[in-house]
Amino acid sequence: MKITVDRTLCDGNGVCMGLAPDVFDVDDDLVLHIADEIPDDPAIQAQVRQAVSSCPVLALTLEE
Amino acid sequence: MVGTSAQTIVVAGGSLAGHTVVAELARRGFPGEVVWVRGAERAAPYSKPALSKELMQGRVTPEEITLPAVPDGLRLRVRDELCLRLDPDADRVLVGPPGGERSGDGEWIRFDALFVCTGMRPRTPPGFAGLPGVHCLRTLADALRIRERVRGHGRPRTVVVGAGLIGSEIAASLRTCGLPVELVEQAPLPMAHLFGAELARFCRDRHHEHGVVTRMPATVTGLHPDGDATVLTFDDGTETTADLVVLGLGAVPATEWLEGAGLDLSDGVGCDAALRTARPNVFAAGDVARWPNPVFGRTMRVEHWMNASAQARHAVESWAAGQEGREPPPFADVPYFWSDQYGLKFQMVGYARDHDEVRVETAGADGHPFATYHREGRLVAAAGVNAPRAVLRMKARIQAEAAAEPVPVTEGVRK
Repeated sequence: MKITVDRTLCDGNGVCMGLAPDVFDVDDDLVLHIADEIPDDPAIQAQVRQAVSSCPVLALTLEE
Repeated sequence: MVGTSAQTIVVAGGSLAGHTVVAELARRGFPGEVVWVRGAERAAPYSKPALSKELMQGRVTPEEITLPAVPDGLRLRVRDELCLRLDPDADRVLVGPPGGERSGDGEWIRFDALFVCTGMRPRTPPGFAGLPGVHCLRTLADALRIRERVRGHGRPRTVVVGAGLIGSEIAASLRTCGLPVELVEQAPLPMAHLFGAELARFCRDRHHEHGVVTRMPATVTGLHPDGDATVLTFDDGTETTADLVVLGLGAVPATEWLEGAGLDLSDGVGCDAALRTARPNVFAAGDVARWPNPVFGRTMRVEHWMNASAQARHAVESWAAGQEGREPPPFADVPYFWSDQYGLKFQMVGYARDHDEVRVETAGADGHPFATYHREGRLVAAAGVNAPRAVLRMKARIQAEAAAEPVPVTEGVRK
């Protein structure tokens, strides 16, 4: 599973962080940090898929 | 895989909730037919939050906010029309163009399951609609009409009526584009019903800092065309003239087509905790769905982006559970929304309505106000500015407090 973020689109709205807090973290400068390793946990991976498809600015893409 | 190839599912609504229902049916490999009645906009589904933010400021194009195509593999029929009527006894919906029921220009489509995702339409007082230079903002077409005026000649004198979430964002976006903006609100402060007084004062001060004139509390008593301009009159007898008026007066659920079908339509579509309506094969999701949320012990309707996609997935799960003879789980969720104004990120988790206490401190690198909202001693919501970590941390705490001490839902449960 590999997540990429388009920094020109990401606005730090925190939707992904709300859905998958173990993987996405938006800091107080509204910069998104993505965990280097995505846990091998089906529940977290489902959260990641939801987070990617829920991004309101379509900044996230996922390669499985 | 769930369902059978002989089944037909109708999805009513072409915004995020409808889009997510269709995508979720595809993901689950539904082998039947899906009829997606997307509405009469004739535009591919798009991200609505951007309309008052990035698109209004000209920072993105309509193409850039188009939602991704739904996954392949579904037997999908797309209808860029409206659901005009539900006939529950025959499990069928009338699908056609606007006004098609009267002109006889519609087709009855039988369904095994129906997902109601028809959202909202703007609230427009009588006498405010149809005037040139007066706009609502709900659709991409609305946003593009406003953009066209913004990019046109001169710097249109702009009045935004209503300082809720959308009105406040539009005012900030148009001011950021350099327009002279006046923001009118019936309440003394912007977004006070969402945030409470402390954060609302912070919002108002940001508008002032950026040169927006606020007129609060004030009620518009009339709009009168004056050449190409519009004169707005107020309850204190004063008036102001605008080249561009944007109404942000909230929205009402788009449920007219469901009248007489035996559903609870007292505020949106009443559902049980699993998003099933009073008809066992009719589900609802998104802005239109009112359901008892076990996290808060309250029946609520939530008009935010994340609620639409989460409820859509959940409604499909409820339908799938029914197919498999399982009892579906309740939709237990902590609402979340954000707002962009003047480069600041306002964020809120939870459900602050009828809170009885607000505690204000500061959070985030800039030390902006951060508020937690409580009801009967319990944390029900939190909001902050440029403090995503502090705000979203509260989501887990709200969930934990609810799990430790559940509150039964006492009102609005499915009859």
